[in-house]
Amino acid sequence: MTRPPVLSVTLPLVALLLASCGGEDSPGLIERPLSESEKNFRIVETSMDRFRYSSQPSAEAGEASGGAAAGLVYDTPQGWTEKPGSMMRDVNFTFGPNGEGECYVARLPGAGGGLAANVNRWRGQMAAAPLTEEEVAALPTRPLFGQPARFVSVDGSFSPGMGSDKAFPDYRLMGLILAGEAGAVFVKMTGPKALVEQNSAAFDQFVTSLTVNTN
Amino acid sequence: MATPSSPTIDWSPQNWPRHLYRFFTSFKLATVVLALMTVVTLLGTLGQVDHGLHAAKEKYFHSFYFTDTIFGIPVLLPGGMLLMLILFVNMTLGALVKVRKRWKGAGLLISHFGMLMLLAGGFVTNQFSTDGYMALYPGMSSDRVESYREWQLEILPLSKEGVAEKAWIYPAEYLATMESDEQRVIHAESLPFDVVINGYSPNATPIPTSAPMAAGVTGKEIDGFKLSPQKTSKEAEQNVPGCFLEIRPRDGGPRDGGTPIEAILWAGSYRFDPREKPMPFTFTVGDQLYGALLVKKSWTVPFTVKLDEFIFERHPGVMTARNYESRVTRIEEGQTDKPLEIKMNEPMRHAGYTFFQESFGPNGAQPGDEMFTQFAVANNPSDQWPLYSLIVTGIGLSVHFLIMLVNFTTRSRKRFAPNPASA
Repeated sequence: MTRPPVLSVTLPLVALLLASCGGEDSPGLIERPLSESEKNFRIVETSMDRFRYSSQPSAEAGEASGGAAAGLVYDTPQGWTEKPGSMMRDVNFTFGPNGEGECYVARLPGAGGGLAANVNRWRGQMAAAPLTEEEVAALPTRPLFGQPARFVSVDGSFSPGMGSDKAFPDYRLMGLILAGEAGAVFVKMTGPKALVEQNSAAFDQFVTSLTVNTN
Repeated sequence: MATPSSPTIDWSPQNWPRHLYRFFTSFKLATVVLALMTVVTLLGTLGQVDHGLHAAKEKYFHSFYFTDTIFGIPVLLPGGMLLMLILFVNMTLGALVKVRKRWKGAGLLISHFGMLMLLAGGFVTNQFSTDGYMALYPGMSSDRVESYREWQLEILPLSKEGVAEKAWIYPAEYLATMESDEQRVIHAESLPFDVVINGYSPNATPIPTSAPMAAGVTGKEIDGFKLSPQKTSKEAEQNVPGCFLEIRPRDGGPRDGGTPIEAILWAGSYRFDPREKPMPFTFTVGDQLYGALLVKKSWTVPFTVKLDEFIFERHPGVMTARNYESRVTRIEEGQTDKPLEIKMNEPMRHAGYTFFQESFGPNGAQPGDEMFTQFAVANNPSDQWPLYSLIVTGIGLSVHFLIMLVNFTTRSRKRFAPNPASA
């Protein structure tokens, strides 16, 4: 009886299989010339520039009824006062008889720590229990820059942190988080519960008016 | 009660090839593999919901094995790659080598060959195809295609004006295998320092230490920033990796009591717009200025594409695109420049590469703003093999059915032929 041609068929297949697995040896650096389209780089001095934080110009006061800061265009709601921005706040408002209400816009490159972590950071500031990933995913959405942003509303005792250990009882935090992979946007309003309630329509008006200034 | 004696199997080593041959040529094996392929296809299709397209393809179809939870029970299953290899071996040995060669079986032989072509085409696609993109503003030209998902480390000797003529690369396929707690020391003879990478994260965000969310980020603080690893995105092209970099000069470095140069590298310093210049971390060793940067893996095509015009039309009154197409010139050495149009469903195919009109930018562009076009560039040596294999399989089945028909009519004619004795 003729022997089946096992080896003649299986050996090339095994060789093909092994070739496909590849090796994991880490090489040294490989030198290569750069083509014309790859040769030019922008030399920046700080990590702040390199990580695109300083590409967002610091906020300056907008006009009475319309603002344009940090590359953003928006309507300033009646009764709100625009304050100078900071490194972490592109647009910054206060409202209320004593300016105890606050609303700001912050943007971060990348996902800014992720949606769930930020929702729970806000809830932590209001002494509220954290939500699970599923509960965060089930939060309602509202449009922000034309995309669905997660809407957060929490009542409680507000501890703003940032070096302060003061707590403000009977406060409300209302905000939107848009956490895409290319960048995260936060719009956050805090203040005494009744004051925030009074200003919720103004918050909606402000959020709806927010657009990117492309000029 | 006496039981019928079953034939004893000789398991001596000299018989192993025969057993292996029987195993790999068995029809039962083919049946089991095809059943498992159905299960893997179902799991892979459902898995896209949780993992995204790319990750699901890698886990279920490009793997030798994977684990999945079915009704709450973790199950180890063979991956698509293993199943297809076994099926390939089974069909090659069983349907082409072992089968009795006779005219009656010619059609089945051809159709099996067609199916083997399909499997081989899948293997070639998996191993040798590339896909990337090219983004151009009107007036720009390029022969370079960038990967959607793969990032590599580049070390660049820079002039003060930010121009580099060459780069030292740590390839994407090695960078991607790094674990977050792993450290790799990379040596290059022609550089006066060693490069150390650690804390690599396939998706990360640098967060200023002054930001509230930095409080929860562990890891080293460098230049006022921490690197916050993020959950990887379902869509792998949206991941923006980051890592810690350490430069150890050989003279005056840690070995001589000096301190290493440290930095956080983040892929977001690369360009998001074709006109942007990437922003490397810069450092000086000796008198030479160097840059270090995570950049997208890229490769060249054997011709240059120049964008002459990008036509972009919106639906009236809204920002939604109605139509977008690109007028390009293909420039190739020794050839006349060729003006072409690339539209949706009308790609440019040339030299094994296919340019599809994919998208446009920048995000948030308003009417009247200058826009760039983005082409998806695919190179797949076996992109037509599914068509060829279906033609071959179709021919095989047609031949088989024809043979069956001829046999049937011949037998019928014989059966119903008038019996001369009864006439």
